[in-house]
Amino acid sequence: MISKDLMEEILSAALSRGGDFADVFIENKRVTGIGLEDGKIERMQSGSDIGAGIRVISGESTAYAHTNDLSREGLLRSAEVVARALGNGSQERTFDLRTLRPTVEFPVSEPPDAVTAEHKVDMLQQADRAARAVDRDTIKQVMVGYGDVVQEVTIGNSEGVYVEDRRVRTRFLVNAVAAKGDVIQTGYEAAGTVTGFELFKVYDPTQMAANAAQRAKSLLDAEPAPSGKMPVVLAGEAGGTMVHEACGHGLEADLVQKGLSVYSGKPGEPVADASVTVIDDSTLPDRYGSYAFDDEGVPSRPVTLIKDGVLTEFLYDRLTARKEERDSNGHGRRESYQHKPVPRMANTYIAPGKANPEEMIRDVREGVLVRKMGGGQVNTTTGDFVFEVAEGYLIQDGDVGPMIRGATLTGNGPEVLRRVSGVGSDLGFTIGTCGKEGQGVPVSDAQPTLLFAGDKEEDLPISVGGTRMRGKTNAEVTKSPRIRRV
Amino acid sequence: MSERSLLDIARDAVEKAVSTSGVTMAEAYVKKGRDIEIDVRDGTIETIKSADEHGIGLRVFCGNQMGFAYTTEFSTEGVSDTVRRAVANARQTEPDEYLRLPDVPGSYPDVDTLDPDLLGRSVEEKIDLARRMEQAARAFDPCIEVIESSTYQDGVVEVAIANSKGLAFGYHGGACGVYTALTAGSDGESQTGFALDFRLKFAELDPEEVGRQAAYRAVRMLGARQHGSQETSLILEPYVVVSLLGVLAPALTGEAVQKGRSLFAGRVGDTVASDLVTIVDDGTLPGGINSGPCDGEGVPTSRTVLIENGVLNGFLHNTYTAAKDGTVSTGNGVRGSFKGAPEVGTTNLFLAPGQAEPEHLLDELDFGLLVTEVMGMHTANPISGDFSVGASGLWIEKGRISYPVRGMAIAGNITDLLKKIDAVGRDLQFFGGKGAPTVRVRQMMVSGS
Repeated sequence: MISKDLMEEILSAALSRGGDFADVFIENKRVTGIGLEDGKIERMQSGSDIGAGIRVISGESTAYAHTNDLSREGLLRSAEVVARALGNGSQERTFDLRTLRPTVEFPVSEPPDAVTAEHKVDMLQQADRAARAVDRDTIKQVMVGYGDVVQEVTIGNSEGVYVEDRRVRTRFLVNAVAAKGDVIQTGYEAAGTVTGFELFKVYDPTQMAANAAQRAKSLLDAEPAPSGKMPVVLAGEAGGTMVHEACGHGLEADLVQKGLSVYSGKPGEPVADASVTVIDDSTLPDRYGSYAFDDEGVPSRPVTLIKDGVLTEFLYDRLTARKEERDSNGHGRRESYQHKPVPRMANTYIAPGKANPEEMIRDVREGVLVRKMGGGQVNTTTGDFVFEVAEGYLIQDGDVGPMIRGATLTGNGPEVLRRVSGVGSDLGFTIGTCGKEGQGVPVSDAQPTLLFAGDKEEDLPISVGGTRMRGKTNAEVTKSPRIRRV
Repeated sequence: MSERSLLDIARDAVEKAVSTSGVTMAEAYVKKGRDIEIDVRDGTIETIKSADEHGIGLRVFCGNQMGFAYTTEFSTEGVSDTVRRAVANARQTEPDEYLRLPDVPGSYPDVDTLDPDLLGRSVEEKIDLARRMEQAARAFDPCIEVIESSTYQDGVVEVAIANSKGLAFGYHGGACGVYTALTAGSDGESQTGFALDFRLKFAELDPEEVGRQAAYRAVRMLGARQHGSQETSLILEPYVVVSLLGVLAPALTGEAVQKGRSLFAGRVGDTVASDLVTIVDDGTLPGGINSGPCDGEGVPTSRTVLIENGVLNGFLHNTYTAAKDGTVSTGNGVRGSFKGAPEVGTTNLFLAPGQAEPEHLLDELDFGLLVTEVMGMHTANPISGDFSVGASGLWIEKGRISYPVRGMAIAGNITDLLKKIDAVGRDLQFFGGKGAPTVRVRQMMVSGS
């Protein structure tokens, strides 16, 4: 998008009044979005967004400016803005930028911009029909969404790094609404990768639509969830919302350094049961959170965060790495040129163990089985988290019992990790958009089947928040919560 | 970039679109903005971020089909390419007889949207505001440990809208605000607090007050413990009520009703809340940070009473949903940015203040929970109104605050909650574009351990 010579000129201008480090992030993004609702293609839009973000770090301070004006004059003007923001001296720096080659690549066999609009539209309509075919009486509404992004970035910095990267992401989601009498329930399915249309060879859109509709329909007859502390089995297929919320955010180095994480000052210490190993691997093929370079031009690599229960490493970007005089481990991410990079997760998962998932359920006398999780939230300072159960069941004497609705799980991250009482041999991923400091980035997360059990109530780390008192019937409760993943 | 006015750029884009074969109507929305954000930490600048941004969003209509495309390129080629993509998109969408553009309106409301004083403020003054907020927070209590952020931000925008029916209108706007988040600690335990204040007028910002509020919110939670499950009365602080309004807002739009996604569909004239509840959307609200002369389609803004003394009056509309309902737009064709077509959205949405003194709301309670924070409200189901959120707050016994509690969950249904409101405070407080007073709710299920 811009030449190395111009990149060098901008970096020199950004550091002309002082400063330790400068970088430039240039982005050209083309997006397509299609929305179907009420059986109709309602929304079809495409966008082109081009811009640059320029940053200078001086001591503990950062100046950042962004612009849509990619002319030489426009870029130099923004460089001057960041130079003036922090500097009052003068320095002359010259650079000799070297192009970094990726250590991992994500080949795209079916570029989404090469697929016709007609084909995409047809796919959405087929999904709509598949969802409605599940039950014409109860499925009242179906929303199908498709999006693809082709993002070309050029990154240069004052350490001589020059990176050009092209990221292609494709995603698909279905939300089905079922209603019967006063009860309304929804079912949701989503898939996304760092590839193109080949996504749909792995995830069949009509099957996803049918699954979403089936879940919405089944929830109509589900029982209100119980409330209180109880044994919980999180199935591998439920996805990784728990690991993302319960420990992932607290392992981001900016929060750790500010003393805002329960894991601050804990490297080398046991922070989880010895059966727990947590990894963030941005190099995984076909995962929504993967990349060849992070948004600071650092090559992607797997990072082991917790090894056999012991805290080993945090997630770093360049700024937080500088503060500890170490290297970034490739987790400086940003939503766009409009945002400065911050440490973020990519594909976060708890490594599989040895237990047989079915036997883990059989060991529970009375509890809750979570087959699908929804969205969640965490307070990283206290470690308290909450997340929603999109598909859950009662466990009765080791058997999977009736479906429940309206459950959320609350707990405390560090406590939950210490009280894991079983780690299954499976692993299931879910995708999402993770929000932090007003920036959304694509992520995926996963875990094996996990058991949280214990003989005494104080050994149980997870509370189920439903509308029914445990062991009592609450005749007044007719509706109970069911939540969507955002 | 050329020095053409935004209105000229908008008119030219419309001209270019309607001269394309098959295009019957077109609309261009052009926006140009300049923002600054300053984060201070321990008295020095941690981050200073400035942004220069512009773009154009184009809607084209080919008979009853509509397509949208946007670009950040104002060049002739950039606009031509965007027209081409918008037309291609239109061809794929389902024809809809209610698609239309607004006519030239009679007049626009006279609304203050830009404080000239803001334009004259120096970066140093803005940095100073963030510093003062940080200092006030630290000075509030020795338990304040970490100031996570002490931020000042402002933005000024220029907007121009033109359509092929002759509408052409533009205005300038601006807003400023401060935000802080921090932690308080004692005996190895940490609690968080935050506060924010966004205003039209720079001179109205009170950074010391915001700093103290954030500190108070954290300190009062120190020593929080768990509490058992029970049904009890709740007192919801304004910020908590505002997050409930965030879930209600989509349900109050004509769009949600027409798509069968609103829990209020078909209930106009019904009692949907306690008679203490009045909910208003007002795009002309003096000092409101989302106030403006027109919405994202160029339709004049207005004041719409959505729920009046518990009775549902009606819904918010843009030009499309109004046409479909045989009514007129309420001026709520809101756009997040030039990157989206106008949807139906709120401007300044608030729960009207009542009579009660907020501090007296707990007087009559034998026990109850003053909810100061909820987590996961974004996961509430906007269609059914069902929610289940994590909560922390202050436990009330015999009319007084007894001790802080955390790790609770509150589950229920929003319409049910609205009916159980038995007191509304007089302390209306805005958090950006949404505002609410303190309210009290009877008999909600609270679960803990």
